[in-house]
Amino acid sequence: MEALQSQSQSNNPNPIPIRNSLPSSMPLWPTIDGPLGLSEEESVSYARRFYNFGFALLPLLWAVNCFYFWPVLRHSDSFPRIRPYVVRSGIGFAVFATLLCSWALTFSIGGERLFGPVWDQLVMYNLADRLGLTSWS
Amino acid sequence: MAQTQTQTRRPCSSILDSLGEEIVRIIAPVSICMFLVVILVSVLNTESPFDASVASIATIAYTETTSDSTWDKFLGALLNSLAFVVVVTVVTFVLVLLFYFRCTRFLKLYMAFSAFVVLGFLGGEVSLFLIRHFSTPLDCVTFFLLLCNFAVVGVLAVFMSKMAIFVTQGYLVVIGMLVAYFFTMLPEWTTWAMLVAMALYDLAAVLLPIGPLRLLVELAISRDEEIPALVYEARPVNHGNLDPRDVVQRRLWRDRRVESSTHYSNLNANSDSDGANLVMESASSSANLNGNSNNNTASSGSYGYRNLVSVEEGRVQGTTDSDISVPLIDRGRNVLIGSLEEGASSENLLLEGIGLGSSGAIKLGLGDFIFYSVLVGRAAMYDFMTVYACYLAIIAGLGITLMLLALYQKALPALPVSIALGLLFYFLTRLLLEVFVVQCSLNLLLF
Repeated sequence: MEALQSQSQSNNPNPIPIRNSLPSSMPLWPTIDGPLGLSEEESVSYARRFYNFGFALLPLLWAVNCFYFWPVLRHSDSFPRIRPYVVRSGIGFAVFATLLCSWALTFSIGGERLFGPVWDQLVMYNLADRLGLTSWS
Repeated sequence: MAQTQTQTRRPCSSILDSLGEEIVRIIAPVSICMFLVVILVSVLNTESPFDASVASIATIAYTETTSDSTWDKFLGALLNSLAFVVVVTVVTFVLVLLFYFRCTRFLKLYMAFSAFVVLGFLGGEVSLFLIRHFSTPLDCVTFFLLLCNFAVVGVLAVFMSKMAIFVTQGYLVVIGMLVAYFFTMLPEWTTWAMLVAMALYDLAAVLLPIGPLRLLVELAISRDEEIPALVYEARPVNHGNLDPRDVVQRRLWRDRRVESSTHYSNLNANSDSDGANLVMESASSSANLNGNSNNNTASSGSYGYRNLVSVEEGRVQGTTDSDISVPLIDRGRNVLIGSLEEGASSENLLLEGIGLGSSGAIKLGLGDFIFYSVLVGRAAMYDFMTVYACYLAIIAGLGITLMLLALYQKALPALPVSIALGLLFYFLTRLLLEVFVVQCSLNLLLF
């Protein structure tokens, strides 16, 4: 772990003026914004926070986590401190999305044949009309 | 001068690459916002125009009905817009007061709350309209889950200091689109009167010495703080050969030639919530769009391999801040999501005029996005011809404002020029061009 950490720290911005000496497979910046984004230390705390908050039924936060730390995800041996969080966020998002899509598709394709009269109560436009959600005044 | 500078660095690039890129990066989101509002308006308003108008603060004085005479409508619209401007002025002064007493945290929380309301409630309303229009068989569980996700991530993206720039910019555009769509639902005369009134207010508030926005800007400068506000900041343009590894920390500067130079050296480089850094790159970018910053400035040393002379010389200028805020309120639409209604929920979005960000990238306030989109949305309610004319007029106005920004190097109101041109072209198109085009088409002459 120590060795890995020291290796990751060597990826940190260091005052070498020539950029192309670095192998292209090692990204410098953990975020997709590159130099405009976070540094590595901040990234660890942000990745961890996004991962933890995603458990509050927020799969979109997991997706944003994966998008934001895309370089970490893409290069499999970089930033070992950030990578676990991002990978787990990705897996979580994929699982959640599969479940949600399957439920939504079952609902919309199955329709009343599958659900019976409950369908009419659950579908959104009826619910909106019933609760008066779209009336303006 | 900018030309020679860029040419010494990259002889193959021209001023179009730097200046053009900067301008495109601010015009693209404005265009996208307008485009989305036009689409929403044209999709959702195909049913008969309903009489019932939205009860909001903009119709506080008078509610327009189709049976009123023209003069009544005109008077009513004037009263409405006057009331609206008065409320906006009062709220801006309250904002100045709060900022003066350093209630920044309260302001930030309140704005996060209003962003949540816009994304959650307005976004929910618009998506319900769409669902009803297309009869999508979506169930309520999925809908509420998606809406909740969208709203929460949006609030985090806009108010957390560091999130993917693309996500933040996307959410700002969406917020602008939702509020603009809401405003297009106002009665017609009120909308036009409100646009004119807001343009005049913007002009007065930013340029007059007693204007609340100017006071806010001066307060922010004197304290070197950033105003908590909703503002779109374009990504700074990267000019080639700057190695980002050389500059880890963000350097922001402001050249205070008027004030004493001791102030200048005392401030440290402190990275703040803008998410944009590397001012150096922007130093070489388009001539006068540089420099201004309302954040802490850095000592003028240690700039990597940026040419210091060019930095001091002409690029960094101006002493006024770039941030102006125009609070936009809209008071409780009696939208009734039953128990969730907050009777007097006023959204107070702090929006800023046009200015220069801490990295020299262009900043445009969300209020400008909103009012441009309202104008184009209203034009879309008439016909697409007016949409094209108004769009071109607004972009031209924005270009003129950017040029003025480059010329005067201080915060400028972005509304007046564009709204004036937009209104002019809307009425000209409606009165003159349409007749011409229709007659030409009918006689199989052209079009």
